[in-house]
Amino acid sequence: MSIVAVFVNVLLFLLLAPLFEGVMRRVTARVQSRQGPPIVQPYYDLFKLLGKERINSAGNWAFKLAPLAAFASILAVVSLVPFGSKLNALGGRVDAVTVVYLLTLGGVSVLLGALASRNTFAAIGASREMVTMVMVEPVLAMTLILGAVRSHGLGLGPAVFGTAGLGYSVSTAVMLAAYLLALQAFVAKQPFDIAEAEIEVLEGPFIEYSGPDYALFRYYMMMKQMFYAWLFVAVFLPFLRTGSYAGDILTQLAGTLVVFIGIALVGSTNPRLRIDQAVKIYAVLILVALGAVGLAVAGI
Amino acid sequence: MDPIARIETELRGRCGADLKGTESPNPARLFVDVDRRALRAASKALVGLGGRYMVGIGYDEIARNGTLGLIHTFAFDTDHVAVVLRTSAPAADPTFDSITPDIPNAGWSEREYRDLLGMTFTGHPKPKRLILADDWPDGIYPLRKEVPYNLEPPAAEDVAYQLDEAPPGTTVIPVGPFHVSLHEPEHFAVYVDGETIKGCDYRGFMTHRGIEKLCQTQVSYNEVPFVAERICGICGTVHAVCYAQAVEAAAGIAVSRRAEYIRTIMLEIERLHSHLLWLGIAGHLIGFDTVFMQAWRVREKVMWLAERITGNRKTYGMVLIGGVRRDITPEIRTEIEGMLATLEKEVLVLKNAVIGDSAIHRRTKGVGFLSKEDTVRWSLVGPVARARGLRLDTRKDHPYAAYGDMAFDVPVVDSCDVWGTLVVRVLEIFESIKILRQALAGMPADGPLLAAIPEALPPLRHAVSMVEAPRGESVHYVITGEENRPERWRVRAPTYPNLQAVPSMLLDNQFADFPIILGSIDPCFSCTDRVAVIDAKSGAKRVLGRAELEGMSRKPEGGRS
Repeated sequence: MSIVAVFVNVLLFLLLAPLFEGVMRRVTARVQSRQGPPIVQPYYDLFKLLGKERINSAGNWAFKLAPLAAFASILAVVSLVPFGSKLNALGGRVDAVTVVYLLTLGGVSVLLGALASRNTFAAIGASREMVTMVMVEPVLAMTLILGAVRSHGLGLGPAVFGTAGLGYSVSTAVMLAAYLLALQAFVAKQPFDIAEAEIEVLEGPFIEYSGPDYALFRYYMMMKQMFYAWLFVAVFLPFLRTGSYAGDILTQLAGTLVVFIGIALVGSTNPRLRIDQAVKIYAVLILVALGAVGLAVAGI
Repeated sequence: MDPIARIETELRGRCGADLKGTESPNPARLFVDVDRRALRAASKALVGLGGRYMVGIGYDEIARNGTLGLIHTFAFDTDHVAVVLRTSAPAADPTFDSITPDIPNAGWSEREYRDLLGMTFTGHPKPKRLILADDWPDGIYPLRKEVPYNLEPPAAEDVAYQLDEAPPGTTVIPVGPFHVSLHEPEHFAVYVDGETIKGCDYRGFMTHRGIEKLCQTQVSYNEVPFVAERICGICGTVHAVCYAQAVEAAAGIAVSRRAEYIRTIMLEIERLHSHLLWLGIAGHLIGFDTVFMQAWRVREKVMWLAERITGNRKTYGMVLIGGVRRDITPEIRTEIEGMLATLEKEVLVLKNAVIGDSAIHRRTKGVGFLSKEDTVRWSLVGPVARARGLRLDTRKDHPYAAYGDMAFDVPVVDSCDVWGTLVVRVLEIFESIKILRQALAGMPADGPLLAAIPEALPPLRHAVSMVEAPRGESVHYVITGEENRPERWRVRAPTYPNLQAVPSMLLDNQFADFPIILGSIDPCFSCTDRVAVIDAKSGAKRVLGRAELEGMSRKPEGGRS
């Protein structure tokens, strides 16, 4: 049964990530008084890209490897997570740090591809992406560590369920605020879509990518977004639990949808920040997240 | 003392016998002829007197007297006077003193005539090609009369523009020739240290169309307004009016008051359109697409109104020498007034949302800083200058059309940055609405739309005309010709002076701010609407309307016929 849950995880993430992206685009369109694309447009986009010729414009192996590595790492992440509040066969064997590592591996793959493509704009995008990664991933790590501290276990289950699952405390509330503020940066949407900033650096790290390789990167981004939105629901909204596996999957998906609508609303009502401005905000977020862990250690 | 007399006296004192003559056809213009020896001294004196450099004009007089003519024009905004400084040099030795060391904005004008007429300017700080393509052969000067307008010299391989040397420790980011934040082909080489801009070189004029040459050799006086309108997709009427005014001034044609009011109305409708368009683009450039979409939704109303009056959403085709082509009837007047009421409400919502948004403040305040002194030194115009504390507005300083009758404010802020430009342009929308209401109310009930024009216009008369385009002052200089077309027609759009100061604005800013800094001076692009589908077999033509086009753009299956 718990092996089945691994496949359920992967399948649902693969199937639904583009849908949430579609919802986000639709909500953004409505804020902008536009009709917007069909909700299934991201599927069309992926299919179109996947059907195109594969071009290695940089001419080296790292360029070809990067999208595969990014996609593989996000697949590994979603196969582990306790989707539907149920720790599956794989998730039970790893600890929270594994998830953080795997997520970082995805980010590093993007950097690898960007640097391998030897493009000026990709290089700028990569340096921005690197800064964002270094400054924002700690908030994710602290969120999981907070759960681990509160439930006295580094396993993935305790880390995810410990933060709010054991009841809300001051530290949980502080972490909730930090996570919400970091969310736009996790999912690379305005005001923190700095690394890709189309109008400045022309999609930054992805500028040289096209066709199936680009599709993998896009798919990776969509799955990553869905992961971060889902994680918020799983960690901070324990009251959505129904007690049944299928019921929890449904409530978590509904929660994720709401989070996505929130992301779209924030994204469409903010301009993009500059990286130097964003770094200052990230620094505050790290401090807040650290403070939350400190409070938890003190038992508050 | 009368300003013209004051300027004349000063110039006589400075140039002595090198001043060969003056002429003042009306109280707002002074033409001064000097020997080329005194050109730099006279230019410096004019700027010292408070003159603002507008543009240089070079022209070919080889057939007539074996010389190449050079004109520098200056505006005295507080005195409401324009001064034209004319000189010439024998074609065998077309050398002039460069005035660029004193007046940086003359840099492009001088480089332009270096390219197009083969003049040389001693002391020019950057004597590089500006206009001609890199593979254009040396020694062919396309604006000289001996060169046919359609000359196509063979293309050469392996020639490229040599960029300025990058400052030590910097890397080059190529913005252009094609880049999403540019709407036309231009090439900025941006030198950055990390993400901080340390310098920039510009190579533009990649789609130079040779419009001036074309109009001086191929078309007739009254065809030029339509060509002029196509110089720019956004401020077409500005160019058409500016040209028509120059010809009218040169030939002494009086335009009826009613036609001047209609020109004013069209100019202000164009300004409304342009300001809303720019506001949207500015939002897009800082990654705020909601501002983009909402501003353009409001702008759509202006376009439908323009279509109601002229039959076109843009490129109105309203202006001819001597007046306008279409009337504004009482029914249209009611419609305009109704539209203005809804527009005012919607723009107010937009203004409150944009001006009060602290996130927009973060991206625009202090960005693209240029001091008031530098703005004067660089002779900048329009909202870019008004955002830097200069009260410059051609509509007030050199009134034309019906602007003398209009009561309106000129919003000026002194934040000296992109934010200031944004505030100025948003506030000007309300002033435009105010002007439109006054113009509709005060328009004379009768009067011919078009003045009678004599069969032949007097040749070799000079005139300069200025019009305040949405993004700054446009200047047109006309020398009337003998073949029912201008002998020389020089166009200077507001981007010409403003773009020259962009490298200064960019200095020490972040690369992320490059799009909005460049965007703040509002470079140009055009938009088209209707599409005609022609069946290749039968030749039958079907014109698609709005509903069909919208349907096609929304339903993928509808688009694959």
